[in-house]
Parts: sequence; C-alpha cells; structure tokens
Amino acid sequence: MRLLIIEDDPLLLRSLSAGLREEGYAVDTAADGEDGLFKAVSQTYDCIVLDGMLPVFDGWEVLRRLRVEKTTPVLMLTARDAVPDRIRGLDCGADDYLTKPFDSDELLARIRALIRRSSGQASNRVEIGGVVIDTAARNVSLRGEIVALTPREYSLVEYLARHRGSVVNRTELYEHLFDEDDDTLSNLLDVHVSNIRKKLGADFITTRRGHGYCIE
Amino acid sequence: MNFIFHSVRWRLQLWHALILMGVIVALCMLAHKLVVDARRERIDRELESFERAFMKSFWEMPSQKKKEDRPPTTAEIRERFLSLDDPSKFPLELRDLFDPDASESTYLVFWDGSCQTLFRSANAPADLQFPKVAVALDPITRMRGNFRELVHGGPRGFRVVVGRDVSSDRAALQQLGWQIAGSGALLWLLGLLGGWWLAGRAIEPIAAISQTASRIAEGKLSERIDVADADNELSRLSQVLNDTFDRLASAIQRQREFTADASHELRTPLTVILSETSRGLKRERTAEEYKEIISTCSHAATRMRSLVESLLILARQDGYPPESHGESTDLSSVVTDTIQLLQPLADQKGIQIRSDLQSARCLADSNSLAIVAGNLISNAILHQPAGGEAVVSIFCEDQRVILEVTDRGPGIAPEHLPRLFDRFYRVDPARGPASGHSGLGLAIVQAVVENRNGTVGVRSEPGKGATFRVSLPALVEE
Repeated sequence: MRLLIIEDDPLLLRSLSAGLREEGYAVDTAADGEDGLFKAVSQTYDCIVLDGMLPVFDGWEVLRRLRVEKTTPVLMLTARDAVPDRIRGLDCGADDYLTKPFDSDELLARIRALIRRSSGQASNRVEIGGVVIDTAARNVSLRGEIVALTPREYSLVEYLARHRGSVVNRTELYEHLFDEDDDTLSNLLDVHVSNIRKKLGADFITTRRGHGYCIE
Repeated sequence: MNFIFHSVRWRLQLWHALILMGVIVALCMLAHKLVVDARRERIDRELESFERAFMKSFWEMPSQKKKEDRPPTTAEIRERFLSLDDPSKFPLELRDLFDPDASESTYLVFWDGSCQTLFRSANAPADLQFPKVAVALDPITRMRGNFRELVHGGPRGFRVVVGRDVSSDRAALQQLGWQIAGSGALLWLLGLLGGWWLAGRAIEPIAAISQTASRIAEGKLSERIDVADADNELSRLSQVLNDTFDRLASAIQRQREFTADASHELRTPLTVILSETSRGLKRERTAEEYKEIISTCSHAATRMRSLVESLLILARQDGYPPESHGESTDLSSVVTDTIQLLQPLADQKGIQIRSDLQSARCLADSNSLAIVAGNLISNAILHQPAGGEAVVSIFCEDQRVILEVTDRGPGIAPEHLPRLFDRFYRVDPARGPASGHSGLGLAIVQAVVENRNGTVGVRSEPGKGATFRVSLPALVEE
C-alpha cells in the first residue's frame, strides 16, 4: 500500500512517515501544496494524508484540484476543528477528517478503513483457500497458524488479495508497494513473491508471464 | 400599564394627546367666548336701539299741552308718561310693553330723580327696583338673574332700565357650547388616530433596526440594517450602526482567526509529541532510535514553549492597564544589552551589527523594551543572507525617542506591508513554525509599543532591505 503525506511541518512529516513505514506502507512525502498536488496527480496512491494549512496552496485547494483528476481516498489532517472547516474539507472531496492532535492508532485505523472501502471491501478479513488475511492486525494465517511475513511481503499479499481474481502487473505493484526512494529497477518484487510462495504455498500466487501476478 | 411608559410609541401618543387636548380646549374656549361676547354685544345694541325707538315714539306722541320752546319740566314728563296707556299709538315692535304676558320681550322702566316710577312697562319683572348704582349719562350694562339690562341716567336724576330676559339666548349659547365641545372631542379623537398612525410610521424603522440588531446579537454577524435611500436621521443612524457592526464583525473575525491560528500552532507540535511517543512505545527499539524520537519530542516541546511565551506576552499586552507606565528607562542601555545577547546568533549567521546609540530615556519598563529590541534585531539578523549588516540607531526627534533597525536583506514586497504586524502573518509561508518563527514577533512589538503610546512602522523596497522604526514618547528631564 502506497501513501502520500502532504504536511508542511518537517517534524510531523518525519514522525508520520516513519510511523507509517514501520506499519509496512510505502510512503511518499510532500512539504507544500504544489509538490503534494503534483505527486498526487502523477502517481497512484492508495491513500493521501493531507494537512489543511499548507504553503503555496492550502489543503482544501489541493483537494479541489486533485478531485478534477483522481478519486484517491484522502484523509484530511488539520488543526482546524471548527465545524465549517470540517464541512468545507469533506465537501471539497475529503473522505475522512482527523483533527490534530490525534491518536496515531486512530490515524492508522482510518487509513486502513479508507483503503478497504476504496477497494470495495467491507470486512477486515479476507479468506483465500486456507489463507486468512487480517488487514486490521496486518497478519496472515495459514490453516489457523500465523505466518511471519515482512511488512513488504504482507503488503504484497494484501494488495493482490484486494485485487483478487485480476492480474496485477509489475508496474502497478511497484507503484503501490515501493515509495519514491526505493529503486524500482531492482528485482525486489521477484524476491518477495518467491518468499511468499515459500511461506503460503507455491500456488498461492500465480504468475502470468508478460502480464503480472494474480491471486485466484 | 408599565409598557406604556416604556414604549416610545405610547409615550409619543400620550404627549401628543395631552398637547392636542390643550390646543383644542383653548381653541374651543376662545370660540365660545367670542360667540358669547358677540351675542352679548348684539343684545346690548338691541336694547339701546329699543330704547331709542321708544323715546322717539314717546316724543312724537301728540301732547295735549301746547308745545313750548323749552325743555319740558319733570312734571310735564311724568304727565306724559302717565298718559301712555294706549298700545295702539305705538309701533308694532313696542306694543309688547303693554302686554303683561310678553315676559320674553324687552321691558322698560323709567324713574325720576326721587325714585318715583315714571313709567313701568307691563312686562317688566316685578322684582326690578330702582337701580342704586351711580349712573352717568353713558349706559352701563349688567346682568340681573336671567335678565340683561341697560341702565343709564338722564338729566335731573332720571334713571332708565331697559332689559330683556336672555334665558333663551343662554340656552342657545349653552347648546352651542356643547356643540363646540363635541366637535372638539371629535377633532381630538381624529388627531389621536392620526398621531398613532404617525408615531407607528416613525417607530417602524426603529423596530426594523432593533430586530436586525438583535439578530446580530444572536450571532448572525453578517446581517446588516437595510439603509433606506432617504437621507434622514434614521438612515444616518442605520449607517453608523452598520459601520459599527462591520468593525465589530471584523474584530470578532480577527479574534477567531487568532484563536484558530494559535490553536493550530500549538496542536501541530503536540501532535508530533503524541505521534512520536506512541510510535516509540509500539516496539522495542535501538538506543539510537529512542534518541531520535526523544530529540524530536524535545524540539516540538521547545517550539510549544516559545509559542506559549509569545502568546502570554501578547495576552499581557492585551490586558495592559494604560496607567501603569512603568519606570523610565534608558533605551540605549537596553539595546546595548540586546545586541550583546544576539551577537552569537549574528556571528553564526555571518551578519555584522552596527550601532549608533544616543542615550535617550523613555517611559517604559526595560523588559518590554528588551522584547521590542530583541524581536526587531533578531529579525534583521535572520532575514538576510550571510555577509549582511544590521544597523541599529537610537536618536531623539521632536520629544520622541526613535529606534531604527535596518537590514540589507531582500526587503518586503509592498503587498505584505499592510499585514506585516498581524498575528501569525508570515511573508513566506514556507518559513513556518518549524523554522522557529512563531509569526508573533512583530505583533508583539506592535502591541508593546502601542501600549506605551508609541508607534511602529516599516519602510521597505524589494531588494533594498527594510527599516523598522519605533517611536516612543521621550521622558523630558526636569
């Protein structure tokens, strides 16, 4: 899952991105509205965390311009907790609203909920054969036993499970699992896929040559 | 009942009713008096002409005696009167004198000087006595009961009373009086109705103003009084009120923005602390990672502290009592201390501080002056590239102490100048709170200086640096 955080406060930006990366998300960052909008439009993110008060143009403006092109779920994060501000944010196209100071667990839960809803799922549990993916606890169990996956492996499983039945090509996987700092030309993806096959069974992920990967 | 005295409309109506009643009563009384006077005068004239007519007939009456060319004696006149017994010898209008039943008609009594009745008309009232009043030849008029009488004397002590019963005239006048009173009352009622309508119309815009004002008081700050096109007292009042509401609304708006900004500035570092601590507590980490987390928290807390301090200074300035003007302080010594304090920062930034300080005392406490000088000089240091120069000068001008701080930085664009002293206004939004700028420094300078009857201003051209000028009242040495 790849996220974009648009936040002008460097301390908070660093803290948020570190926290989210530790949760296994690929995280891109932007420190002002212009840069944030550029990234949000040019990349495909699973969720965008957007601060309200930003230099160049503010969060509401970013939302207005973003919504012309994309429907990426947006969680607005601002210190303005007045009802008109919240209404304005939601009306501009935000999917959720969180006021500072917030609990970071709540932020994580809301991001999970936004991603789940945008992929059209209502539950936190996805069952594929003997494999159960719990997106709330971010773990995978095979026949009742929890399988130890690295965060990146988990993200790959979750992403493919959310797009179950359809073939996801490598570019899309790179886009959603790796952030702008990762080297996308590496063969990391193949390494992750082979590790997952070792842990969850060889036929859990099928390879469509020339197209990508798929969970049936 | 109480509301009558608390309603302008009712009070207007009450005064209107009283004044109108006074005017109408006075007019009615005047009219009545004029009519009564006119009627009395007419009666008097009638009586006079009646007497003349009688005397004319009296003297024309054929006498048995031969006419001699001398005035008739009293005896002759008495004789003449006594012979008046035949009404048919008199003209029609005088015949009632001989009819005892004609009590409504004019009567006539003559006396001679010795109170002897010479002639008494048959219709004269029985109680009519010899008039004891001193009488000249000119007639006097008097009222005796229901009778109007004309009394006058004649030669040789003759007395004549001509009179008439005026009770019918009185009744007519009384009726007229009632008529006047009735129409007066009617006029008064009409006036009251008109007054009520007028008062209502006059009050109507006031009611509209009061409704709008109460809606504004309820919190609808954007409401304004509908100002009529007419240029009258009420529309001017509405204009004044609208201007006041505008100013109040913008003050409230500024206050709201300030509160929102202050909470925003405080919430962000608080969020950093919460997010970092919860991240740190989630799993075991290396000492290095813990160090980083604690250092981030410490940064955020430092930011909060400096912001809270700034807010406290501002809050104290807002509640600063104007009388407590502190002690007199030498501005130059305060500025010298401040420059010393900021010298390390200047060295670090590669900025040279030049100062030209004249000793000048002004009425302000040294703490406040240090805040002003510190903010201005550190701004000058921070807002220019290395190698720059900050010039601080103090001098006296027209009983005022002037502190000028000039930098050689990039200057300030004209569009920022009007809002430069606003709270949380930042020329460069990217130079946010993280870079240590609370956005309150110049607002604090302005509040402190203005609280001490001073002014602060800025001159700047893009590319040519900026000069901040503080002017404070000088303390005149006695």
